[in-house]
Amino acid sequence: MTCDDVRMHLHDYQQGRLGPQAQDAVRAHLDGCGDCMRADAVEQELTRLLEHRLPQHPASLALKRRIAAQWAPPAARPSWWRGWRSWLAPALAAATVIVVAAPVVHYEQTAARQAREQSAMVTEAVNDHLRLLASQHPLDIESGGLHQVKPWFAGRLDFAPVVTFEGDADFPLKGGSVGYFRDRKAAVFVYARRLHTITLLVFRADGLPWPSRGLTRMGGLETTVTSERGYNVILWRRGELGYALISDVDPAELKQLPARITPASS
Amino acid sequence: MVIRALHKTKGSIPVLLWAGGEREAVDVSALANQALAYVDALHNLARYLTGNETDAEDLVQETYARALRAEHQFTPGTNLKAWLFRILRNTFLSSYRRRRNDPTVGGLDTVAAPVEGVESTDWLLGDVELDRLRKVVADEIEAALMTLSEESRTVILLDLEGLTEVEVADVVGCAVGTVKSRLARARAALRQKLKDYAR
Repeated sequence: MTCDDVRMHLHDYQQGRLGPQAQDAVRAHLDGCGDCMRADAVEQELTRLLEHRLPQHPASLALKRRIAAQWAPPAARPSWWRGWRSWLAPALAAATVIVVAAPVVHYEQTAARQAREQSAMVTEAVNDHLRLLASQHPLDIESGGLHQVKPWFAGRLDFAPVVTFEGDADFPLKGGSVGYFRDRKAAVFVYARRLHTITLLVFRADGLPWPSRGLTRMGGLETTVTSERGYNVILWRRGELGYALISDVDPAELKQLPARITPASS
Repeated sequence: MVIRALHKTKGSIPVLLWAGGEREAVDVSALANQALAYVDALHNLARYLTGNETDAEDLVQETYARALRAEHQFTPGTNLKAWLFRILRNTFLSSYRRRRNDPTVGGLDTVAAPVEGVESTDWLLGDVELDRLRKVVADEIEAALMTLSEESRTVILLDLEGLTEVEVADVVGCAVGTVKSRLARARAALRQKLKDYAR
């Protein structure tokens, strides 16, 4: 083996991918060639660098959730055609029970499912807020005012976020970024209240399980006010867009914002 | 035996369900969970191909969507990870071709020229290069990797993921011998770039 042959195969040699004969030939060459031995050390160092120092970019929890949502459970396969005769009598009996009980069960199941889905929306909003708090670089665009933040979203979202509150001395606008809410992109606006962070998510509202009961009226908006894990959450929709406001500031203070973010007259 | 669905369990941990045989649920669940376990690896490659988080997430999501549509094409007993990587790379390349034809998109700086112009035999003399490599930090190695062509980045990252050369060849669609030489050239090019960073 020449030095060029050996160097071409050094990585395979280190990974043990060569056949026994070639492996022995490379080893024998390295034992007698100082330059190739140093090249072997360099190749090993490169592998060590890649394995230990190359930054890894794992998928976010939000992405994993979206992939889960993307793959819906399969529809049940009809199997009545097989051996239907033996099942006919029990099936008729069961059908009678179902006719009587189904409306009640259906109502309860629907209500329970809606409650779960709505709770999942709140959980997602709080998780998004927590991720933002934990992120070392939570803002893609530092705020120079709403007139800088809003145009920054152009081309990054498939909708234009309608937000009119520019921030003020009490609730300064810190900046924005692109995030995800459930299975869709969201515009993330970050306001502050003293040392507290307030996250506003704006996203397409269609297809989400918006509550229709227990709503709180706020300046012409129908909102859902709740809390989870110590964070207050206000959800509302306006036109085609949905809004989620999350923070640990006092609920009374947080409630000042929806009507300013999307005033009824705008 | 094919992927049928991804189903959410009580704890909201997604579990892939597989079908294809009436009593295969137990046997296939491990394989299904394996598919989900590759999300991080797929996202890592996507991040290094696209160069940004938003496109990487879109690429991974599209990869799983295509995998679901192409479930019947997966051959049981073959490497599911390599199969998903192949879909991801093909999705990236087709997306790149579309963007290349889009007049609103400028050059794709995430896809560098395919030739690095470095021969695998282009070694610095041993100890000097070794000393320099030892000083390289994470940001520098990432930056150096991103300067390589898409093809070079792909073979380096797939090699790091532990794919065999046969599997890498299957992912990038070339002969095994070609993978060997591409990998050697890509690593040589990376060493060359790192040499500059470590000065």
